Amino acid sequence: MPRRILPVPLAALVSLLVGPAVSAATAAPVDYTRDVKPIVTQHCVRCHGAAKQEAGLRMDTAEAILVGGDSGPLVKAGARDQSLLLKIIAGPHEDIPQMPYKRPPLGADEIAKLRAWVLAGAPAPEKEEPGVFVHWAFVPPQRPTPPEISNSQSAIRNPIDRFIVARLAQDGVAPAPEADPITLLRRASLDLTGLPPTPSETAAFLADRSPGGYERAVDRLLASPHYGERWARPWLDLARYGDSNGYSIDAPRQIWKYRDWVVAALNRDLPFDQFVIEQLAGDLLPAPTVDQRVATGFNRNTQINQEGGIDPEQFRIESVLDRVNTYGTAFLGLTVSCAQCHDHKFDPITQKEYYRLYAFFNNTVDDGHGKSNPGGTLDFRGELPPPDARQREIEETRAELERFLNTHGAAVTAWAAGLHQHEKNKLGATAREALGEPWEQLSLRHKRALYAAFPGATADFKNRNAQLTRLERNEAKPVSTLVMSELPAPRESFLFIKGDFTRRGETVAPGTPAVLPPLRAEKPNRLDLARWTMDPAHPLTARVAINRIWQQYFGRGLVETENDFGTQGEAPTHPELLDWLATEFVARGWSQKAMHRLIVTSATYRQSSRARPELELKDPINKYLSRQARLRLDAEIVRDVALAASGLLVPKLGGPPVYPPQPDGVMNLGQVKRDWRPSTGDDRYRRGLYTHLWRATPHPALAVFDGPDGFSACTRRLRSNTPLQALTLLNDAQFFEFAGALAKRVRAEVPAGLEAQLDHGFRLCLARAPEPAERARLADLYRQQHAAAAGDEAARQDAAWLIVARVLLNLDETITRE
Amino acid sequence: MLPGNPPEDLCRQTRRHFFSRCGLGLGGIALASLLGKSPLRAAAAADAPLANPLAPKPPQFAPKAKNVIFLFMAGGPSQLELFDYKPKLIDLNGQAVPDSLIAGKRFAFMDSSHGTKLLGTRREFKRHGRSGAWVSDLFPHTAKIVDDISIVKSCQATLFNHAPAKLFMNTGSGQFGRPSMGSWVNYGLGSECQDLPGFVVLQSGPRGPRGGAVNWGSGFLPTTYQGVPLRGGGDPILNLSSPAGITVERQRQTVDAIRDLNLKRAVATGDAEIHTRIAAYEMACRMQASAPDLIDLSKESAATLNLYGIEKNTPSFGRNCLLARRLVERGVRFVQLYHTNWDSHGGPGENLQGDFEKVCREVDQGQAALVQDLKDRGLLKDTLVVWGGEFGRTPMGENRDTTGRNHHIDAFTMWFAGGGTKAGVTIGETDELGFNAVADPFHVHDIHATLLHALGIEHTKLTFRFQGRDFRLTDVHGHVLHKLFA
Repeated sequence: MPRRILPVPLAALVSLLVGPAVSAATAAPVDYTRDVKPIVTQHCVRCHGAAKQEAGLRMDTAEAILVGGDSGPLVKAGARDQSLLLKIIAGPHEDIPQMPYKRPPLGADEIAKLRAWVLAGAPAPEKEEPGVFVHWAFVPPQRPTPPEISNSQSAIRNPIDRFIVARLAQDGVAPAPEADPITLLRRASLDLTGLPPTPSETAAFLADRSPGGYERAVDRLLASPHYGERWARPWLDLARYGDSNGYSIDAPRQIWKYRDWVVAALNRDLPFDQFVIEQLAGDLLPAPTVDQRVATGFNRNTQINQEGGIDPEQFRIESVLDRVNTYGTAFLGLTVSCAQCHDHKFDPITQKEYYRLYAFFNNTVDDGHGKSNPGGTLDFRGELPPPDARQREIEETRAELERFLNTHGAAVTAWAAGLHQHEKNKLGATAREALGEPWEQLSLRHKRALYAAFPGATADFKNRNAQLTRLERNEAKPVSTLVMSELPAPRESFLFIKGDFTRRGETVAPGTPAVLPPLRAEKPNRLDLARWTMDPAHPLTARVAINRIWQQYFGRGLVETENDFGTQGEAPTHPELLDWLATEFVARGWSQKAMHRLIVTSATYRQSSRARPELELKDPINKYLSRQARLRLDAEIVRDVALAASGLLVPKLGGPPVYPPQPDGVMNLGQVKRDWRPSTGDDRYRRGLYTHLWRATPHPALAVFDGPDGFSACTRRLRSNTPLQALTLLNDAQFFEFAGALAKRVRAEVPAGLEAQLDHGFRLCLARAPEPAERARLADLYRQQHAAAAGDEAARQDAAWLIVARVLLNLDETITRE
Repeated sequence: MLPGNPPEDLCRQTRRHFFSRCGLGLGGIALASLLGKSPLRAAAAADAPLANPLAPKPPQFAPKAKNVIFLFMAGGPSQLELFDYKPKLIDLNGQAVPDSLIAGKRFAFMDSSHGTKLLGTRREFKRHGRSGAWVSDLFPHTAKIVDDISIVKSCQATLFNHAPAKLFMNTGSGQFGRPSMGSWVNYGLGSECQDLPGFVVLQSGPRGPRGGAVNWGSGFLPTTYQGVPLRGGGDPILNLSSPAGITVERQRQTVDAIRDLNLKRAVATGDAEIHTRIAAYEMACRMQASAPDLIDLSKESAATLNLYGIEKNTPSFGRNCLLARRLVERGVRFVQLYHTNWDSHGGPGENLQGDFEKVCREVDQGQAALVQDLKDRGLLKDTLVVWGGEFGRTPMGENRDTTGRNHHIDAFTMWFAGGGTKAGVTIGETDELGFNAVADPFHVHDIHATLLHALGIEHTKLTFRFQGRDFRLTDVHGHVLHKLFA
C-alpha cells in the first residue's frame, strides 16, 4: 500500500490563514478549524465579521458564534440540536430568513459538518485569530514536493502521477491500467494535432519496440504544424474569435491574420508569458514588429454594432467592457464582469476596481460603429487573398462586359466627340475623365461610365453592368487585420453607476484589484497590465492557464469551474498538483509544448478510459482520475477526422477563411441575408478551424457539435449529444461526400478481399482493426446492401461500400477520443 | 434547482442502470445482434428515456399551461396604431411633447433630429366583443377574438436597440451567452414529444430577426435545449432528408448497423454516453419520419386552411400559425414564430401607412385563426399564446420620408391567450399620451416570471449553475402578474 499522503501545502496554507495550527490531518471527526471555519468564513463573515455585524452578530471566531447576536446565542447549551444556527441554515425560522441570506443554501455536506460541530458541543480553539478568509486562489502557488509513493504497483512516469496516485490511495483506489498502444496513439494524435493517426503512422508505432517509442511519437506530434492548429482552437474560443462583426448586421470582417498568428506562435512555442503580453499589448512594446501588432487582434474580436440609430459611444464602451470581462475570464479566471454594476457579491473585487481595469482598455482608437479608426486596422498592401470562385466570376464577368463594350467602342467615341460643352458638364465625373481619350486606352471603369451615359445603351448592358456592380460589392479586399492602437493621450475613465454608461461616477485611474499583488508602475498602461499579469508571482495566471490545458486532456479541470477561481468556484480536486503544475510551467520558461509533453507522457494520461463500475458510487464523475475519459471530439475535429479518413483533407495551413458547403437557407436566418458560396477546389476540404465563422449564422455542422459562436469568451465547450448531430453525420451533403470518398479510397488502396477492405476502412477511421464480431457485422451489412443494390457488379459494390463508409463515419468511436 | 445538472445525473443514472442489467459478454451481444433480437437492444430501449435529456420532467406545481406559442413581432409593432387608443394624443397631434416626459431619456437615433412632436394615430379605433376591448381597423380578425385574449398595455423593456432588445426579450439579458426562454422551458420540463425537437422556431417576413440564432440559443445550457428552426423551404429541419439514393430502408439499415456497433462499443467501454448517442440516432430517424408529416397540410380541411387564410403552400405567417398548432398538438413544448418587419420609422418600406398596413395584414388573420382553432380543438386551455415585439413605438412622430415612430420601451402592448389566462380583459394602463405605464407595469422580467408560472415553474427556482453562480431566466428580477390568470 502506498503511504497515506498528507496534503501538506494545503494544511500549511490553511493554518497560515486561519490561525493556530490544527493539522488538516487530525483524525477527529469534525474539527472546527479544518471543517467549520472555512464554511463560516466563506458564507457568513462577509455580513457577520469585522467589517459588518448584521443583526449584531459576528461569526469570525468560534467564540463569537457562541456569544451570538441580537437573536441570542447561535448554539443552545442544553438541547444542542435545537440550536438557532442549525435552524436558520435549514430553512426560514420565525423572523429570520434562511441563511446564507439571499444566497444558495449550504450543501448537505456543509450542513452536516456544522451540525456535527454543534452536537459535539461546539468546541472552540484557543486564541483563535478572527477569520479573514483569504481564498486559496489569491495566494501565490507554493511549489509542493511531489508525494513519495513507495511500494506502488502503479506506474509512476513523472511527478504528475505521484499526486494522482497519492490521492487515489486515500480512497484505496489504484489507477487504471495503461490503454492499449493503438488507443494511446490515436488519443495523443487527436489531442496534440486534432487528426487521427494514419495507418502507416500506426504501423510504425506498433513496429517500434524500443523503449521510448511513445515519447518519440509525442515529440513527432508536438513538432507537427497541425499541433498549432489544434491548440489554437481553444485559445480562439477564449478570444471570442469570429469572421464577422456580430450584432444584427453581422458584416464580414478580416481578422484571420490574428488566427494565423496564434497558430504560428503555438508552433514555434512562443513562451506563454510573451504569448499573452503580445496579445494584450504588443502594440505598446518598444518598436513592435508587425507580428506583435497582429497579436493584439485578441482584443479586437469584440462585436461591432452597425445597426442604424445606435449611439456609437455606447457600443464603443460595450467593446471596452467586453475587453475587461474577457481579460478577467481569460487570464484571471474570475467573473470580474459581476463588478460592472456593483461590487462583486462574492469575490473581493469592487466596482471601482472593475473600472480601474476598464481604464487600461479605454484608450484605443477604435469606435463603436466600426467606421473610422485610423490605426485600428493594419493593412497588408499588395497582399490579396488567393482568387476563389467568386473572384474568378468577377473577372469573367468583367472580361465579358469589356468584350461587349468594345463592340460599341466606335459608336460611343463618335457620340462623345459630338457632345456640346453643356452636355459634357452633365456627365458623371468618371465619364468626363474618359472624354477625348482613345477608346483602346480607356480602363473598363471609364468605358462602363461612358457607355452608361450613351443614349444607345441597351437593357442588356444595364443588366450586365448591375450584375457586375453587385459582384464587385463582395470583391476580395486587400488583406488587413484589426489591431489595438493607443490614442496619443488616454481618455478619461469613469465608474459607471449601476454599469450605466450614461451615469458617470468618479474618475478612475488604471489599476489592479487590491486582493492581487500590487502593480508597481507610475502611470501604468496596458503593457504594464500585461507584464503584471504574467509575473510568475501572480497567484492566478499560471494556475488558470494550466488548468485549461489540463481540462482538454481529461474533460474537466483540476478546478472544475475553469472560468471561476473565485470563492464561488469549485475547490481544486488536487490543489498540490495544480500548484506544482503552475510552478512547473513557470520553471520551464512558460513553454506550452513542455507542459503538453509532461501531461501526455504521464501514466495518468496514459490510463485506459474504460469505465470502472466498481468506482461508480465512490467517484461517479471520475474526479480523482482513476481512469482516462472518453471525450466526444470538438466540432472542428469531427470534421477533420472525417476529412482525414476519407483522404480528402487538404492540410494547408492558414489564410483567409473558407466556405465548405452548407445546406441552403442557413444564411437566411440572420437579419441581413449573406452570401455563402461554397469554396471549390482545395478550400472545400480544409480543416474546420478555417471555416468562416459568421457570428449570427455559424456553419451548422460546427454549431451542432457545440462550436463556439464568438460572442463572448468561451472557456470550455459543452459536449452535447443530440439527434441533430445524428442528422448531420448521416445526411449532411459534405459528410455524405466524405463517405463516398472513403468508400473509394478503401477500394483503391485495398483492391480485393472484403475482410481486408473492411479492416482498412476501420483503421482509417479508428486506427484499430475491427474485432471479429465487428467485422462480421460490417460484412453482413455489406452483403445485405450488395444484394439489395441495383445495376451491374461495380454499381452494386459502390452502393454497398457507400453505406459501409457512412456507418464507419457515424460510429460513436469515430467522433470520440477514447 | 429543478431538474438537477442533467448530464451528470444522467450519466450516473444510466451508467448504474446499464451495469446493473447488462452483464453480457461481447460474444453474446454480437450473436444476439446478428440474430436481430438483442436482449441488450431491449435494455437500450428501456434506457432511452433515461438517457434522453428531453424526457418530460414534472413541473414544480400544477401548471396552467403545457405549451407555449410565442408570436414574436420582430421590430417592435406600434401599440398606438393597434391597441392603445389615445384620443388625447390625437387632439395634441403636432404639438411638442412635454419636456417632463422626455427629460433625461435616451432613445434610439438620438443623434438625428427626428422630431419630438406628438403624433396622433390616423387609425380608426373601435370597441369590440363583449369585453369592449379597443382594437384598430388594422386588425379586423384579431378584433373578433378579443373575448378570448388578455391585452396588457403596460409592458416595459430596458434596451432600445433591436438586437440587444430582442436578446433581452428572449433571454432576459442584453448580453450574449444566456439561454433563451424556450431552452429554459425545455430544460425545466423536457418535451412531451420524442420525435420532434422540444423547441421549434418558425420565421416569416422579408428578413430574419436581428441577431439570428442567439435569439433561440441555449447559452450555457446544453445545446439539446436550443431552438431548432423549422425552415420554410427545403427540408423543414436541416439535414432531415436522407441523401439522394438512400431509401428509407437503406437509412434504417445504416442506422441499425451503427446502433449494433455502438452497442458493442458501449459494452467494451462502459460509457453511458454511447447509449445517449444510440437514442439520438433513433430520435433522428423518428424525426425523419414525422417531420414531413408535420408540414404536410394536405389533410387539413378546406375550412381550416380558409380560417388561417392559407391559399397556397408557401411560407407565410398564416401557414406558420397552422404549423404552430400542429406542433403543440404533437406535444412540442415551445413554439416561437418570428415575423418581420415592424420597424416603422417612416423610412422606405417602413412607413406607418401602406407598409404598416401590409405587415398587419400578414399577421392578423393567422394569429386570430390560431387562437380560434386552438380553442375549437380544446388545445387553448393547455397552450399559452403570447403576442408582442421587443418593444413598442413612441407617441412622438419620427420624421423620415414620412412620419413614423421611434423605438419605445416605457409602455407597449402585448396580448396573451389560453394557458389559464383570463379571457376578454385588458390589463394595465398608460398615461393619456401613451408614454408611460401608469398601472400594472409589466416588465420583460415579469413576463418571463409569468410565463414560467403558467407552466408550473417558480421562476426563482429554475436555475442552472454556471461560472459559480446559479443563473435564472429572470436574473434577480421578475414578479408574476397574477392578475393575468383566471
